[in-house]
Amino acid sequence: MWKGFTHLLKKDLKMMLSGKFFLLALFSLVLYSCYINLVYVNLEQEDYQVYLFDPHGASARQDAPSGQNEHVTDVGSRQELENACADGVSIGIDLSAGTPEIYMLSSGIQTADHYRTEWGKAVLTKIMDEKAVLSETTDHEVEIIGAFDKEQKSRREITCEFLFFELSAVGFLGLASILFKEKQMGVIRVHGILPVHKAAFILSKLCVFLLSDLFFAILLTFINIGFGEGLAILPGILVQAGILSLVMALVGFLCAVWLPDFKQFSLFYLVLAVFITTPVFLAGQTGVSWDWIIFHPMYHLFTAMKSAYFGVATTSFPFYSICAGTTALLFYIAYRVLAREMTKEG
Amino acid sequence: MRRIMKRLTYQLKNLRKDKLCLLTFLLPIVVGIVINVLPAMNTQTLGEMSFGCVKNDLPAKTVRWLRENGTLTEYGTLGELETAVNDPATQMIGVLRSENGIRTLLSGDELKLYETTGKTLPRLYDNRMNKIAFSQTIVPIRSNYDGLKSLLIVITLVTAMFMGCTFNSMNIIGEKEDGVALVNQILPMGTGDYILQKLTLGFIGGCASTAICAFLCIRIAPAQIPPLFLLIVLSAYTASLIGLFIGYFSSGLMTGIVYIKILMILFLAPPIIFYLVVPTDNVVFPLSYLFPSSAAFYGLMDVLGGQAHRPWLNLAILAGHAGLLSGIYFLIMAKKRKRQ
Repeated sequence: MWKGFTHLLKKDLKMMLSGKFFLLALFSLVLYSCYINLVYVNLEQEDYQVYLFDPHGASARQDAPSGQNEHVTDVGSRQELENACADGVSIGIDLSAGTPEIYMLSSGIQTADHYRTEWGKAVLTKIMDEKAVLSETTDHEVEIIGAFDKEQKSRREITCEFLFFELSAVGFLGLASILFKEKQMGVIRVHGILPVHKAAFILSKLCVFLLSDLFFAILLTFINIGFGEGLAILPGILVQAGILSLVMALVGFLCAVWLPDFKQFSLFYLVLAVFITTPVFLAGQTGVSWDWIIFHPMYHLFTAMKSAYFGVATTSFPFYSICAGTTALLFYIAYRVLAREMTKEG
Repeated sequence: MRRIMKRLTYQLKNLRKDKLCLLTFLLPIVVGIVINVLPAMNTQTLGEMSFGCVKNDLPAKTVRWLRENGTLTEYGTLGELETAVNDPATQMIGVLRSENGIRTLLSGDELKLYETTGKTLPRLYDNRMNKIAFSQTIVPIRSNYDGLKSLLIVITLVTAMFMGCTFNSMNIIGEKEDGVALVNQILPMGTGDYILQKLTLGFIGGCASTAICAFLCIRIAPAQIPPLFLLIVLSAYTASLIGLFIGYFSSGLMTGIVYIKILMILFLAPPIIFYLVVPTDNVVFPLSYLFPSSAAFYGLMDVLGGQAHRPWLNLAILAGHAGLLSGIYFLIMAKKRKRQ
């Protein structure tokens, strides 16, 4: 039995190699890491820029000392002021007429416009009354309660999302593509008469994919979060990655056995990618809250993965027992379906 | 002419039976409809400040002031508020009562704008009572699309345009797998004929899908229609050519799908990133024109924004791409024929 199992493992590994699965995973790893390190970490939303047109007293005004938050730029004419504010974010202050004027292009959102006006008014107070409104507040007025700074947060967040996507969408496709190839070659038919247990057939595939997924998770975490910080959260991540990998691989296995050809499978895959992972991403990334999202099974897997990345243990015993139950159930169904397929094939 | 039409109808019929192609055709249209009916509020809340407070902690006037400046969510306890502020997905700023005003809670991972907001909010709140005389001009935005929505529309349209390659590449690969490609070699049909048919197939698919999607999503001035039309035609042609390449290079369905996936990522990600992150006058910016999708993307953004002068540059670049790709493809084909 075990000798057969190691042979099966070897065969599956060879299939993955020949299907360029590892090459694809490596390519994704490089692509994701480049995106995270070169682009995502640098994304920033800057403070409001204030443009000041003051033909009478520009020279008298002193530059704001450091540690203040006004970013005031002098402009030479009203036209320049209007051009500078054309982005719908910047605020213009025109002191050329009797009463000062706050000029801005609407951002399309009423509250945001109101807030920008307040900001402009604060800068105006500084200019008119020489009262620095926007200087840093004292410590007892602002309390920082989080454990991560912006860069750590972005790295953890996006790495978690990429890992989730890679495991749920791409891992699923990988197993199915191998199984379809085997189906085409008639391997399932041959297995029907081999003295190898059907469970071993499924198990070997699961093992190979689980290992490769875990390896991928380790590399992705170390490359993008750093070795020290990554090591501290790795155990939690591996548990979640393992659960996700097993569940998705089993679903992929089921679909690949059920659906007659790869074309129909890719259709199904498209539906899965669009309707199953997109809402989860939206909810996870933007904080949009939907009440129904708690009925979305993938959402819980995603939140668990996210908590693991942020080092919070929010998942509880019911979560793990449901995961274990689902995996066992999926395994049982996969087993039954495979058995039926083998009888059908003769 | 009639013969060509007959063959084309046959090809289109063949395509209709293919569920994958049908879905790629319908998907952008469905997304277009969804964007269109998406309540305006949904995309707008993303640009607002978001504040959180503990129920019954703040006086009514503070609550009113906060609601004027952003969205305010009330939580039952301080613990819940802290969890919400710490949630990495949000940029929420916690607001609490202090002896003579308000104090704020930040998680420390906010973007710069929100961090500054959190740090200056107590002062800004004190300043609200400060009466200084000023007049205010808020120019309403001219276009009906807020930034995020037009970005979504353009992403959908560009996807629809370049998905055109799916139609003919899937068709070619399907024929390869079924052995029709071999039969075609002995049929009295010229290579030119074959290329023309497959090219038209992808072109029609891409054009139709994009046109319907554009019709559903955007309302523009009549003067903007010619550049939009040219953009769609040129991109659909380029996509169709790329479909021919994919069909030529991929041995099976699986590799074909992988190629399409990689191509879509390569074509969609750079223009979005460049558009959002790199300023137009940066030296790196012209590099993004290496991808034909970038020209289509910027062109569409300009058409939606009502700027008429720049589409011509983008159209020229797109036409250049189309010409170059056609040249390469015909060279490959000529070489192949020589070998046979």
